[in-house]
Amino acid sequence: MKAYIVVLALILFAPTVYSQVDRTKAPEPGPAREIEIGDYQTFTLKNGLQVFVVENHKLPRVQFSLQLRHDAVYEGEKAGYVSMAGELLGTGTTNRSKAQLDEEVDFIGASLNTSASGIFASSLTKHTPKLLELMTDVLYNPAFNPDELEKIKTQTRSAIVANKEDPQAIASDVRNALVYGKDHPYGDLVTEKTIDAITLEDCKAYYQTYFRPNNAYLAIVGDIDLKTAKSLVNKHFGKWEKGTVPAPTYPTPQPPEKAFVAMVDRASAVQSVITVAHPVELKPGSPDAIKAGVMNNILGGGGLSSRLNQNLREHKAFTYGAYSSLSSDKLIGSFNAQVSVRNEVTDSAVVELLGELRRIRDERVDEAELASAKAHISGSFGRSLENPATIANFAINTAKYNLPDDYYDNYVKNVAAVTPEEVQAVAQKLIHPDRAYIILVGKASEVAPGLKRFGELKYFDIYGNPHTPADKASLPADVTAEKVITTYIEALGGVKNIDAIKSATTQNEATIQGMQLNIQSFWSAPNKLAVEISANGQLFQKVTCDGEKVSLFVMGNAAPVDDAMREQTLFDSYLVGERWFKEAGVSLELTGIEQVDGKDAYVVAYTYPSGSTSTAYFDKETGLKVKTVKTMQSPMGEVMQTSTYSDYIEKAGVLFPQTVVQTAGPQTITIKMTSMEVNVPVADDKFVIN
Amino acid sequence: MQKILALLLIPLTFHVSLGQARKIAFTEYDLDNGLHVILHQDNTTPIVAVTVLYHVGSKNEDPNRTGFAHFFEHLLFEGTENIPRGQIDKYIRNAGGTLNAYTTQDRTFYHEVLPSNQLALGLWIESERMLHAKIDSVGVETQREVVKEEKRQRIDNQPYMSFQYELFSRAFKEHPYRWITIGSLEHLNEATLDEFIDFYKTFYVPQNATLSIAGDIDINEAKRLVDLYFKDIPRGPGEVPRPTVVEPPQKQEIRDIVYDNIQLPAVFQGYHIPADGTDEAYAVDMLNRLLSGGQSSRMYKALVDEQKKALAVQAFPYPLTDPGLYIVLALPNVGVDIDDLEKAMDAEIEKVKQELISESEFQKIRNQVESQFVQQNSSMAGIAERLAIYHAHFGDANLINTEIDRYLKVTREDIRRVAQKYLTRENRVVLHYLPKSAQRKPGTTQLEKE
Repeated sequence: MKAYIVVLALILFAPTVYSQVDRTKAPEPGPAREIEIGDYQTFTLKNGLQVFVVENHKLPRVQFSLQLRHDAVYEGEKAGYVSMAGELLGTGTTNRSKAQLDEEVDFIGASLNTSASGIFASSLTKHTPKLLELMTDVLYNPAFNPDELEKIKTQTRSAIVANKEDPQAIASDVRNALVYGKDHPYGDLVTEKTIDAITLEDCKAYYQTYFRPNNAYLAIVGDIDLKTAKSLVNKHFGKWEKGTVPAPTYPTPQPPEKAFVAMVDRASAVQSVITVAHPVELKPGSPDAIKAGVMNNILGGGGLSSRLNQNLREHKAFTYGAYSSLSSDKLIGSFNAQVSVRNEVTDSAVVELLGELRRIRDERVDEAELASAKAHISGSFGRSLENPATIANFAINTAKYNLPDDYYDNYVKNVAAVTPEEVQAVAQKLIHPDRAYIILVGKASEVAPGLKRFGELKYFDIYGNPHTPADKASLPADVTAEKVITTYIEALGGVKNIDAIKSATTQNEATIQGMQLNIQSFWSAPNKLAVEISANGQLFQKVTCDGEKVSLFVMGNAAPVDDAMREQTLFDSYLVGERWFKEAGVSLELTGIEQVDGKDAYVVAYTYPSGSTSTAYFDKETGLKVKTVKTMQSPMGEVMQTSTYSDYIEKAGVLFPQTVVQTAGPQTITIKMTSMEVNVPVADDKFVIN
Repeated sequence: MQKILALLLIPLTFHVSLGQARKIAFTEYDLDNGLHVILHQDNTTPIVAVTVLYHVGSKNEDPNRTGFAHFFEHLLFEGTENIPRGQIDKYIRNAGGTLNAYTTQDRTFYHEVLPSNQLALGLWIESERMLHAKIDSVGVETQREVVKEEKRQRIDNQPYMSFQYELFSRAFKEHPYRWITIGSLEHLNEATLDEFIDFYKTFYVPQNATLSIAGDIDINEAKRLVDLYFKDIPRGPGEVPRPTVVEPPQKQEIRDIVYDNIQLPAVFQGYHIPADGTDEAYAVDMLNRLLSGGQSSRMYKALVDEQKKALAVQAFPYPLTDPGLYIVLALPNVGVDIDDLEKAMDAEIEKVKQELISESEFQKIRNQVESQFVQQNSSMAGIAERLAIYHAHFGDANLINTEIDRYLKVTREDIRRVAQKYLTRENRVVLHYLPKSAQRKPGTTQLEKE
């Protein structure tokens, strides 16, 4: 009896005993379910439009994604027009103004976006007819409103001006120019000049040439069946006329024979942006592509745990982040590794970066590292499949790049199969630290000497054009800061003419965030100045200098004026401060020659009485001041404020810049002088400071 | 005859299309220790979202120990008795997953998205967190620094971002919504290790948690694994305390100036509104869409497009389970007087109180609500989260399928009524954000009117 109870107890307790979980170890994963990519169907219209349909009835919604399939277009001197054409498409049709279009899209709770590479539209299934009506109105009847183009141009210009001072943007522009070359579409660089050259006709021509059914894929994803999709597509896209789409070929960019350092000098930089890059021939879906992805994940593409971050961030604390990317592309791919570090450790960081590129070539990766990279890649692949649009993208890629039909079905399997030997082999094939561009955007005078050991040191301007720097050592011996200033004053019209002007007023216009600003200035010799900025007829900001004191009012309230601002404003309140630099207690030092907008300029550092500094640039040929850089305190910390001067005009024998472009952080403001009068009476109460 | 048929068909098709909205099927049950479990099976993609919602937010805190709930969100990434410091992250990454967490006034939420064969890993980590998180001085010290940095980056150094604190601290006198989730660094510094442990033992107990799992699972196998990892976690000893304070109604408008590190001034208005989940809250939500949903909404069109008084305008009800705030804010264009801007905002609010909205506008916001409702259930992570929230805060996980009806029940009259009832001067806090440069010494007066 007792034994029976024991047995019973054993039976009763057994399951509990067995289900006691071992908490000390992470549970082993179950067998991985094979990832199945959902099905898609495809058909092609007579006009050449190839359609992919991914049925997914989970949610009553549907999306239409029209994707153009041509290779990148070389834009050259009109760089920027292609993306502007795409943006323009969404700004109204011949049937609907932009406001009407917005209203109708919002009314059905839909979204509709256009770009140079296509049109995307999505809504609930029941609004499909309206959605297609709006989408095809945009596709067939774009208004190409010149005002909208101007708006886009203005926005692009502001972005470009801001980018000129952004070391990351400069690094990227120079990298593209070097890696792809300026005769390749990927090397196209949008500048103010190319924007000015763009016409409405260019945008129309792009639209008419490339928005053609035989140049497009249409992906339809969601709550729709094949039959409905076919009839809708026939109805809305069947009459779309095909066209001849040019298929230009481009030279294949080659890496440099030998690695060299491409230095872009930024005299005021406190950080260096280091980029190591070279072109890579790696086609999407090629046998190497998956191995290359695993390899790059280990090297620098896998976030914090990747080698570049472990080394440069975690161990050396040089940086907040170091990354690498390896792109596959039909025309030409590229390898790219990047890190931003402070000036002092620039060369050490290049040593570590290049060292990691060599290590992944020279040594086999260990199994744990490899497994983690594979899990990372497969995990994000798996999660991406949750979105049914991924299936459509896979289908389009398969068609576009002629991939095997089961490429994506086997993707995870192929990732899992990558061996340490293959990682090393693909690294040796694709990563070439000895034939790379080592691009440095930073302060040459501090960092360049340490960089020569990595290869020849060549200088480039911010557009990626080579230029010969005239650094301090190579400055002509007879040039001094004082001489630069004397030449400047002569170029303006000479001391006599400058001193003959006793008073002046100017009217200026500027636009900030879409608002028109009016700027008036009043000046009286020697250095009394009042600048009033107003918008909508209201005084917004006022700077006053009475010759000794400086005040600043923002929206009627006094704002603090620190020493740096006070002494620099005092200096700037002279008609030409440089005429009086000794009297103002400003000391000058010639620090070198740098390029401003592609032209050599002498760089002069100013030190004011209390120790604050600024930098001015004087065109080597004309002698005129073309740029100043100041450091301002702002809520976000120190911000560099850059002003460039151009369009000098003559007034009473003296030249004055008509256009001043100011950049501070991401903000850009262009100030145009509309009128100027000299030697007119200016009431002294303008300059009174209470 | 044909015409009559067609007329009859209209409401029918509407129903059919709504009926197409996929029903989210789920299983829910309680373990003996009180843990509420919700399982949603969808085997389309081999991934699984594992989430745990703890029904504790900043409103559960001691007024002298604010910031505890959010601090725990950080602390619980430190490690457990069986998971060494810093390894939670690594386990998830090496499994090919992602993870994150957040804290609000009402809840703390942890989630992982993993390949579905790693479900046990997610359950192991979450059960370790619930059973015996490591709460020691090293972790507390580390996370104090991290939270300090987070506060600096996300609130102190972000222009206007103090608005939450500034609005709620004025609008609420009694209710714990008067402090913000990140709380006070002083409180966190003063707190002893025992206090942290006590908070953990009070709130991180199974009866205060909802485990919600969505994705590629087998319900029975998932139940078995949930049992395995969670069944033996002991129920907490006491009742989980919940605040019962009811904020007394505000009697008159509160108006103030905040000086911040900004270039452009701003107007912030906060109106007391009913708790989330009430009929009136749905009406407020619809009202909000009318005023600020997209570029063709009333506020945007009037203030930004037509009058060009505002550079930007935004409005949103703050989703809270006790009565909260509806926030309306605008930044003036350069040169526009801030009082002028506020008047223009008030004019739009006045309009919606006076005139019934048009049928076509009403249809538009219904369409938008429906579109959003349908699309929000597109990811496993989203479904798991919403199931947990609907259960923990509204006691009905099935709202994931039925909440749309509560929206569609709202009438045009309801929208006008809630505007009249809640968007009043007595019921609001108004803040003018001004640049620090505009700050004068005490004694001088400006902008103090009404």
